[in-house]
Amino acid sequence: MQKAVVVIGGGVAGIQSSLDLANRGFKVYLVDRNPSIGGRMAQLDKTFPTMDCSMCILAPKMIECSHHPNVQLLTYSEVKDVKGSVGDFKVKVLRKPRYVDERKCTGCAICSENCPTEAPNEFDENIGVRKAIYMPFPQAVPRAAVIDKESCVECGLCDKVCPAGAVNREQKPEEVELESGAIVVATGFDLFDPSVIPQYGYGRFKNVISAMELERLLCASGPTGGHLIRPSDGRIPRHIAFIQCVGSRDRREWIGHPYCSSICCKYAVKDAVLIKEHEADSLVTIFYIDMRAFGRGFQEFLNRAKSEFGIGFIRSNPGEVSEDQRTGDLAIWFEDPVTRTVQNMRFDLVVLCPALIPSKGMPELAKTLGIELDNYGFVRLEDSVRKPLDTTVPGIFCCGYCLGPKTGDIPDSITQGSATAARVAEVLADKEAS
Amino acid sequence: MKYAFFAGCLIPAREPHYENSVQKIAPELGIELVRMEGANCCAPFSIQSLDYTSWLALAARNLSIAEEMGLNIVTLCNDCYESLLMTNTVLKEDKKTRDKVNKILADVGLEFKGKTDVKIFSDVLYEDVGLEKVKNAVKRPFNGLRVAVQPGCHLSKPKRLHSIQWMGGTALDELVEATGVKSIPYERKEACCGGPLRGVNDEVALHVAKQKLDSIKSADVGCIVTVCPFCYLELDMGQIELKRRTKEEYNLPVLNFAELLRLAMGMDLEDWEVRAHRIPITKILGMVEAK
Amino acid sequence: MHEVANTPRGRGVLACIQCGRCTSSCPVARVVEEHNPRKLMEMIILGLRSDVLSGRLPWYCLSCFTCLDRCPQGGDVGEAMFAIRNLTVREGNIPDGILAQAKSLFENGRVVTAGRMALAQRVKHGLGNEPTVDVEAVQKILKRTHFDKLISKGK
Repeated sequence: MQKAVVVIGGGVAGIQSSLDLANRGFKVYLVDRNPSIGGRMAQLDKTFPTMDCSMCILAPKMIECSHHPNVQLLTYSEVKDVKGSVGDFKVKVLRKPRYVDERKCTGCAICSENCPTEAPNEFDENIGVRKAIYMPFPQAVPRAAVIDKESCVECGLCDKVCPAGAVNREQKPEEVELESGAIVVATGFDLFDPSVIPQYGYGRFKNVISAMELERLLCASGPTGGHLIRPSDGRIPRHIAFIQCVGSRDRREWIGHPYCSSICCKYAVKDAVLIKEHEADSLVTIFYIDMRAFGRGFQEFLNRAKSEFGIGFIRSNPGEVSEDQRTGDLAIWFEDPVTRTVQNMRFDLVVLCPALIPSKGMPELAKTLGIELDNYGFVRLEDSVRKPLDTTVPGIFCCGYCLGPKTGDIPDSITQGSATAARVAEVLADKEAS
Repeated sequence: MKYAFFAGCLIPAREPHYENSVQKIAPELGIELVRMEGANCCAPFSIQSLDYTSWLALAARNLSIAEEMGLNIVTLCNDCYESLLMTNTVLKEDKKTRDKVNKILADVGLEFKGKTDVKIFSDVLYEDVGLEKVKNAVKRPFNGLRVAVQPGCHLSKPKRLHSIQWMGGTALDELVEATGVKSIPYERKEACCGGPLRGVNDEVALHVAKQKLDSIKSADVGCIVTVCPFCYLELDMGQIELKRRTKEEYNLPVLNFAELLRLAMGMDLEDWEVRAHRIPITKILGMVEAK
Repeated sequence: MHEVANTPRGRGVLACIQCGRCTSSCPVARVVEEHNPRKLMEMIILGLRSDVLSGRLPWYCLSCFTCLDRCPQGGDVGEAMFAIRNLTVREGNIPDGILAQAKSLFENGRVVTAGRMALAQRVKHGLGNEPTVDVEAVQKILKRTHFDKLISKGK
């Protein structure tokens, strides 16, 4: 029986689970396919409803993971094969080459400064650019650079300027075999691609963006240093609209996400308040079907948003967004709920709140692990009432948004992370006793 | 490729030049159109609005005739397409309704068996003939003439009935551009032309047509290309009617897709066909490359 | 509401969540203030039977299916328009233009027939006569479905 656990996914749920298990004396292998842990929470500016700085809450936990004697980080890595059963899993992990030696790199980023090549920055939702050799983001853990071989032109400058001699372009993919008693799946979510609904103009109109892109624009560590400017001309937008339920609550078969994603109403209000904090004289309007403001101080936050911040709420789901090609301004067509007539309203920037969908690659991972997914692609629970953290394979558990929209917010993910750790400990203790 | 040719009501009655163009280009593309003798009206939206069973029975009669001919149906009109396709789908899937309709058809000696498929002319060109063959048949292409393509609502909606996404996808543009024109995107491309209300509520129909025409005008094109005969009427005649009411002129020639293809394939339009267009199309005729 | 739901093509009214996307997309709603698909659904849900069945509201619809393709509840709300019109017809509420088409259908087997000049043109240019219609068969069918009685109500 192995007193070790493999945690797949280094977002806040996976991090919490790892820390709880590590503190309990388990050896934890925290695997993440990105070059840094942190997940979605690292991309956020502030959290709802307390408006705490997201990274300020997360970073200490990320650092703890990197320093904890019982936690081994395997970033830029993916689980490729799993054999065995509860108590005795053999997990093969493929580590992608960073072409930078993690142990030598000090995170000084001189390499990036000198690199001549740029590529879209995935962390910034492809709004800004990064270099071919780059630090994933300022607070990355592990604090080491990574080379994106596809964009790299092999000029060798990084190697020349690195004071620690950490660049190693001969690195090869490495397969590691881990032995663990249990596995925790914490793979989080991706965003639905709004261009599947062409009427909203995402992908065609420059000033129609997704909520995560807005988040990066508002964040001080983002591509604009936290200045809210609009993509087409860099002007500060004064009239901003949010459209809720883009893909969510949609029963059409080709959309495929009839569920409510559960956090978009909340984060839209949060983002609206954030915008008002950045630009006090801006006018923000949220177009919604229902305002789902449940639990944990949220109704109060919503009330403040209306009375204190003057955010407009219009109960109407828009049909179309059209663009004025000369200015890049947008017009939203909607039915005015008061006059019951079709109106259009002009905006500088339109933010779409897309459905939250299972992480890319879930079907393959599920097959590798042998677990089942539900019909939306989220992890299927063994018994959603009595065992809401167990997957359909004994010894494999899950936490966070990979379970689906049951997760209401960050504290829920943290709770589930801790609960999964307890579950793992319990199950392994039972196994040991038997 | 042989098909049961469902001509509908509008084209034979009001737009014989559309039918003529189709009859001229079909043999060049290997398409044989067999007349459906005795076929009745497809039962477009106006009839569907009156009574459900009457619609299904009338449409099913046409489908049964094609079944007896052992051929798939091809229509030229979007409304016929929608009516026959929907009926075909409903009756294939719903046994109870099928039995009810078949009891009525028995009175006229027919039975719906679900053995035929419904296609529209652009389906046939894109899927059965194939884009390559259509391109090869074009002998004198247009030289990048800017056109606004009007797909028409019933070509591709409801989406769940159709395998090719004519609207929102590139298929129709690819087909039209095979003639050498350039399909220009415009804001209200997917919107209705107002045609269905023609003769029912002309004022509203024209209002809706105006929205469409305004959008096309700002796209700066030389010609409108339609698939559906209702769209053709509404956008062609509609410009004359709008000029009478609002004094606004658009001067946008409207061509049916079949006519466009016919010109591009090297055939000239006859005088009576040219005159059938209310907005003059003479400048378009001069735009094909010299042979 | 259940009356509409139990009429063919009418089930969609049960699914309506009043989100307003249909009206926001409707090309007629933009030019005719009175026409509002969401409001029509609302009136049905609220049971305002006489207002719905006697009004002109359902007859502004173009049946362009834009609402149907965009409805987040699966689109049957757009189909419900047909069910509503079927019900208004039973109350004798039929616009003149539609009635004219219906009469032509019953008498000629077609909603629109070629005039003398058009027929002459067809023959002259080698298209032949209009394809024949089996009017008897059409009338047999329409009598069987009581179509003739239905349209005689509209006066």
